[in-house]
Amino acid sequence: MIEALVQAGADAFVAYPITPSNWMYKYGKERFPQFYAAPDEISTFQWMAGLAATGKLPATSSAFPGIALMVESINMAYAMELPLVIIITQRLGPSTGSATTGAQGDLSILNGIISGNYPVPVFSPSNFEDAWELAAKAVETAIKFRTPVFLLTSKEMVMYQKSFDLNTLKPIQKIERPKVKIDGEYIPYKANKQLVPDFLPLGNDNHLVKITASTHDQYANIRKNDPEALANTQRLHDKFIKRIDELTVYSLDKQNDSNRLLVTWGITSDASRDAINELRNKQEKIDLLVLKSLLPVNPKLFDIFDTYNEIIIAEENLTGQLKEILFGARKQKNIKQVNKVGHMITPKEIINTILK
Amino acid sequence: MTKNPNSFLTDKKFPFCPGCGHGISIHALNKALKELNLEAKDVVVVSDIGCSGLIDPLFATHTIHGLHGRSPALGLGVAMALSENKNKKVIAFIGDGGATIGLQHILEAARRNVDMTLIVLNNLLYGMTGGQISGLSTKKYKKIIDFEQDIPPFDLIELAHASGARFAVRVNNTKKVKDTLIQAIKTEGFSIVEAASLCPSYGMKKMDDLIEVADAENILEHDRPATILKDKETVSLIEKTQVIKPTFTANVTQRKGFLIAGSAGGGAQSVAKFLAMAGIYAGLETTMKGEYPITVGTGFSVAEVIFDHKKINYTGLLAPEYILIVSVDGLNKVQSKLNTESTILMDEKLVTDELLATYPNILSVPLTKNFNKKSLALAAVAYVLNKENIIPLDALKEAVSTHRLKDIFIEVIDKVIEV
Repeated sequence: MIEALVQAGADAFVAYPITPSNWMYKYGKERFPQFYAAPDEISTFQWMAGLAATGKLPATSSAFPGIALMVESINMAYAMELPLVIIITQRLGPSTGSATTGAQGDLSILNGIISGNYPVPVFSPSNFEDAWELAAKAVETAIKFRTPVFLLTSKEMVMYQKSFDLNTLKPIQKIERPKVKIDGEYIPYKANKQLVPDFLPLGNDNHLVKITASTHDQYANIRKNDPEALANTQRLHDKFIKRIDELTVYSLDKQNDSNRLLVTWGITSDASRDAINELRNKQEKIDLLVLKSLLPVNPKLFDIFDTYNEIIIAEENLTGQLKEILFGARKQKNIKQVNKVGHMITPKEIINTILK
Repeated sequence: MTKNPNSFLTDKKFPFCPGCGHGISIHALNKALKELNLEAKDVVVVSDIGCSGLIDPLFATHTIHGLHGRSPALGLGVAMALSENKNKKVIAFIGDGGATIGLQHILEAARRNVDMTLIVLNNLLYGMTGGQISGLSTKKYKKIIDFEQDIPPFDLIELAHASGARFAVRVNNTKKVKDTLIQAIKTEGFSIVEAASLCPSYGMKKMDDLIEVADAENILEHDRPATILKDKETVSLIEKTQVIKPTFTANVTQRKGFLIAGSAGGGAQSVAKFLAMAGIYAGLETTMKGEYPITVGTGFSVAEVIFDHKKINYTGLLAPEYILIVSVDGLNKVQSKLNTESTILMDEKLVTDELLATYPNILSVPLTKNFNKKSLALAAVAYVLNKENIIPLDALKEAVSTHRLKDIFIEVIDKVIEV
C-alpha cells in the first residue's frame, strides 16, 4: 500500500504510531519523499491539511483511537475539499486492550463520519493485489474528487506475511494533477463540469487562493444557510453520487444458475474464497461478491442482489455493519449473516451458515 | 475578492464589536506587511474559530480558515510545505480560547521552528460564547470578576520559549504591535506574538485598564536557524524486497501448519520467518504471522507458519500439523491448542507424565541440553523438517544465509542432524 501510494503520487506521510498500523509508519518513513512524525493524531491531520492545501498529497495510517481524534479535522478537510489518503488498520474494539486482534468494526463510523451523512470514499482491500491497486485508486480518487479517501484494512492483513509473486503487480502510473487554466479571477470553489473546484495551491504566485472549512459560497465567503452556500454544500454530496460508478470496485465470481450470493469484504474475503471453492467442489451452486469499495453504496449493487433468492453476508464484526448499511437493521428471511468478533471467520463457519 | 489599493485588506467591513481590540491588531498587521514590502501572493493568513477567526474575509492574501484551536497546526502544515521558499510568510491567528485547545500545537510549532508567525489575540476571555474565562485570563482580571483568581494563566511566551521558539513576545501596548509584528515576521523560524486585546462586550474596555490587568510584556529569543523541509530521495520498497526463487523441492501435497511457541527473545518470530522463506525456496506457498504481548521484550512469543503446494487464501491456522514448544511461556500460551492429532515437539524438560498420558503424540527432544536459549526454536524447526522430511534442510540453510548470524544458525541446523 505504501509503495503504491508513492508510485501513484502521494508525497508526504504524516503519522503518529499506533498498533496495529506500525508497519505502515515504518514503511511510510522509509519510502515517502517527506515524512513527519506528529505528536498526536489531531496534529497529524492538521499538518496533512496544511500540506494538502499547499499542493502536497499527504497520507497517514492509524487505527480507531487515532481516527476518533481526527474526526473533526476530517470534516474540515472534507469541507475544504483537500486531497489526502487515510489508511485505517482495524483492530478489535471497543476502546483499547485488543490492539493486536483483528476486526472489521470501523465501517459504520465511516458511514456517518461526515456530519450530515455526506459520502466519503472508502476502499477496502480483500488481498495483497487489491492493497496495491486500491492504494493507487485512493490517490486517483483524492485528486479527481478533491477529497479525503479512506483505505480500510485490518490487523490480520497488515501483520501477516505471505509468499507473493511481485510480477503479478500491475504497473502504476503517477496520477498527475489536472492542469488548471484560469482566465481572469480565480473563484476557489467554483465547480467544474465534474462538480469539483479547480485546485490551485495556497501560496502560488499567480492567483490568490482562499480555502475554508466553514459553510461557504463559491468565493469561499463564509455564509450560513443562504441558497448559494447550501448549493455548495449540496455539491459536496452530488460530486460523489453523480459520479458513483467511478468510485465502485468489486469482483463478482458468478456461475450461470446460482440462486445464492455470498457477499463479503476485507479480511473475510479469503475465507469466503476458500468456502466457495469447497462448496463448488461439493456441487453446491453459489456466487461470490467481494466489495472493494464500501462507501458510498452504488445503487447498481441492488440490481445484482435482486437476481438472487438468498444472500449471505460474512464480515468480522458483531452485528453485520455492511449488512446494516445495505439492508438496514431489520432481519430478513432471505439474508443470512456470518458474524464473529475476536477471531477471523473461518471458511467452515461460512459453509455451515450457507448450508444451514 | 476586492482588494483595497495599497492594502493587504479587502474592502469588507470589520465584523467586530465597536471598540474591539482585534481590529487594532489587524490594522497593525496590514501596516507591518506594507512596511516589509511584501506582496499579497507571498502571504498566507491562517485563521480558526472564535472572534479572532472573523479575520478570514478581511485579508486580501492567500487565506485558509479551519477549526477552533488548530490554526498553529494547520499553519505549520502550510509552513512546512512552503519552508524552502523564504519569500512566503505564513501568519496564523488564534484567540486565547483557541490557544488552550491547541496548546500542544503551539509548543510543537515552537519546537520545530519552521518559519511562521502566530498572533495570539488575548482579550482574556471567550468573547463569542459570553465572556467566560480562558486559560490566558490573568489573575488580575480574574480578581475583578472574582473567579479562580488564585489559578495562574498559562504563560504562552515562556512556554513557547522553553519549547524552542526563535522569537516569543507579549505586547500590551497596541502602539507597539506593528513594530513587534515586523520583527516577528522578519524572524526566520517560529515567532509568536501575544497581543493584549480589548473586549468592549465582556472584558476590558479601555486601553489603560487592559494594560493594568494584563501580564507583563516579555521578549524571549533563541538563536537557532529555521527548519527547512526538503524532499528526500527514496528507493522503491519493491526494489529493496528480497526476492526468493524456488531452488529446492518440497515433499508437501497438502496444507501443513506449524505453531512455534517460545519466549520473548528466543527467536520464535525470526525462525518462523526463516521457515516461511525456506518453504518458498522449496517452491511452496507460505504464510507467516506472529503473536506476542504489546511489551515485546517479555512473556510468550508465538508464531504460525503455513505451507501449501497451492495458493493460500485463508491464513488462519486452526489445526496445526506441528506444534513446537520450546519454553514454559510458550507452553502456557498454546496449552489449549494441544491435541492428539498434531505432532507435538517439546523440549524434554517441559514434558511431564501427565502431558504424555494425555498426548501420547508428544515428541520429547533434548533441546536445552544441546542448544542455547536463543537457538531452541531454530533447532526445533530443523528437527521437525528433518524428521518428517517436509523440505530439505538446505532450504532452511538458504533462508538463514542472508542473516548476520548465519554461521551460528547453520551450525545449529547441522548439529540437529547429529543429535
